Amino acid sequence: MSATAPSRRVARPDEPPPSRFGVAMGVLFVVMTALSVVSTGFSLDGIIEDLGRRNDSISGLLNIDLSVITSTRTLTAFVETLQMAVVGTIIGGAAALPLALASTEVGARTTTVRWLVRAFNNVVRAIPDILWALLFVAMVGIGVLPGLLALVFFSIAVTTKLTSDVLDGIDLGPVEAADATGAAHVAKLRTAVVPQILPAYSSFLLYNFELNLRASAVLGLVGAGGIGTRIEFYRSAGRWPEVWGIIVLFFAITFVVERLSIMFRRRLV
Amino acid sequence: MIQFSDASVTYAGGVHAMQHLDLTIEQGEFVVIVGLSGAGKSTLVRAVNGLVPLTGGSLQVDVRPGRSLGGRSEGEPTSYDVVGLTGRRLRDLRAEVGMIFQGFNLVKRTTVLNNVLMGRLHRVPTWRTLLGMYPADDVELAMRALERVEIVDKAYVRASNLSGGQQQRVGIARALAQEPSIILADEPVASLDPPTSHAVMRYLQQINREFGITTIVNLHFLDLATRYADRIVGLRNGELVFDGPGSAADEHVFRDIYGRSLTADDVMGEEERGGDAEAVVTPPTSPA
Ligand SMILES: Nc1ncnc2c1ncn2[C@@H]1O[C@H](COP(=O)(O)OP(=O)(O)OP(=O)(O)O)[C@@H](O)[C@H]1O
Ligand SMILES: [Mg+2]
Repeated sequence: MSATAPSRRVARPDEPPPSRFGVAMGVLFVVMTALSVVSTGFSLDGIIEDLGRRNDSISGLLNIDLSVITSTRTLTAFVETLQMAVVGTIIGGAAALPLALASTEVGARTTTVRWLVRAFNNVVRAIPDILWALLFVAMVGIGVLPGLLALVFFSIAVTTKLTSDVLDGIDLGPVEAADATGAAHVAKLRTAVVPQILPAYSSFLLYNFELNLRASAVLGLVGAGGIGTRIEFYRSAGRWPEVWGIIVLFFAITFVVERLSIMFRRRLV
Repeated sequence: MIQFSDASVTYAGGVHAMQHLDLTIEQGEFVVIVGLSGAGKSTLVRAVNGLVPLTGGSLQVDVRPGRSLGGRSEGEPTSYDVVGLTGRRLRDLRAEVGMIFQGFNLVKRTTVLNNVLMGRLHRVPTWRTLLGMYPADDVELAMRALERVEIVDKAYVRASNLSGGQQQRVGIARALAQEPSIILADEPVASLDPPTSHAVMRYLQQINREFGITTIVNLHFLDLATRYADRIVGLRNGELVFDGPGSAADEHVFRDIYGRSLTADDVMGEEERGGDAEAVVTPPTSPA
């Protein structure tokens, strides 16, 4: 069979028309965009006009006060933020591993367990971090604790979801082998499943830590501790130069953490 | 002793993979199962450790822990009625039965030693397994198993870094580490080249002789079957169509089992020496 001497000419197929689904999605996108622009009264003129107007927050940026960075209060709040992010990632991440395992066919002992765990995971995931913070502030009062609890649940949501996606693609051969040795369920998961997902799971924990650090800035706005508390303090007093000072420091720290995390994660996978 | 009586397996799709099988295998026998693809070979071996449940008939498996790597003393014989076996009892049976797979089924991301230690899971307390703190005795046993298949030098190497033949030897070591009284091997050499295949078959044969471990091997290749089997069992469409000593299985017999004339694909061929470096490794002859 040589390519230069085809035995018979085969007619080239016509290019198929675009799929109906694709066309429908395209039309839907255009219509939705048009509707949103009209209904919200979006206009570029308005934005440009607003930006040109005298604005406390923008002028604060021009008079940015970097000395807040060295104040003990700011630093304490930053340490608090870091602690919340670390502890939240550890506790939430630790809980996420069994929750992810139990939501899969391999990991769950019975179908009932699997569905219950899946339902739980879905509920946790449906609630955004700021809502967790509001809930816990209402339950345990203002402070670091509600923030920490919010981050624990936020971490459970993130890491469980990412980990269970990886679990769907593992090699089932070793699982069968573990079954054949008469291993108990938990021992089987520990030896045949966990080693397969460990690099990805560790990488998710680091990523989750980055998210927690960023989330903690917002949690303070509703009284859940951390650097957000300071941002909210200066903002409500209209002291924008200080607000911007803290944001710059926050930006610097998240940037460094993110770089480090990416470096570690590259080595893991 | 393994005793199938009027045993049947019908899969959910309606395939009759085992039909009214009567078969008795004595302790210490080396049995090779042959048959075309889809004849029910895997179904038969997997029934022995309950990975595939029977849908009819009965299956009794008697285990008598004999001589083993750990010098486990002659234990009391235990008899298992495999049909309906669940939970702890099923795991007890499986612990007595080592299994070797065509695809090796190793955890590739972890070390060879950790893979072999999987064979000890039934004996090791769960909290120790969770922490990865295996008792020294179990590690010693795993090391001896690796020595038995001459690959102990790779104990701390990641399994993914081994060649196919080496991975299968680790698979054998994992089964050996169970101190089993039965070993099941489902096409253990199907993904290996001829010299490596012969090496793997020789390890299985020697382990069978040395420890008196009942060994059931599924094979595709007729020459391998006649060369290593004490006894050959032929299957076709889930039915037993031949049962006799390896020496009695000639070309006519195979033509019967396969229901067609033989082709070059049905034989593995001789081991050419000097090809794959690991193939020249010859297992030490066991003291008789
Ligand atoms: N889990 C299953 N569900 C449904 N049918 C199955 C299942 N496993 C096997 N079968 C069918 O049962 C029959 C016997 O399968 P089995 O795997 O035992 O054959 P085999 O002799 O091992 O074949 P091969 O040489 O291809 O491995 C085949 O027709 C197969 O398609
Ligand atoms: Mg098979």
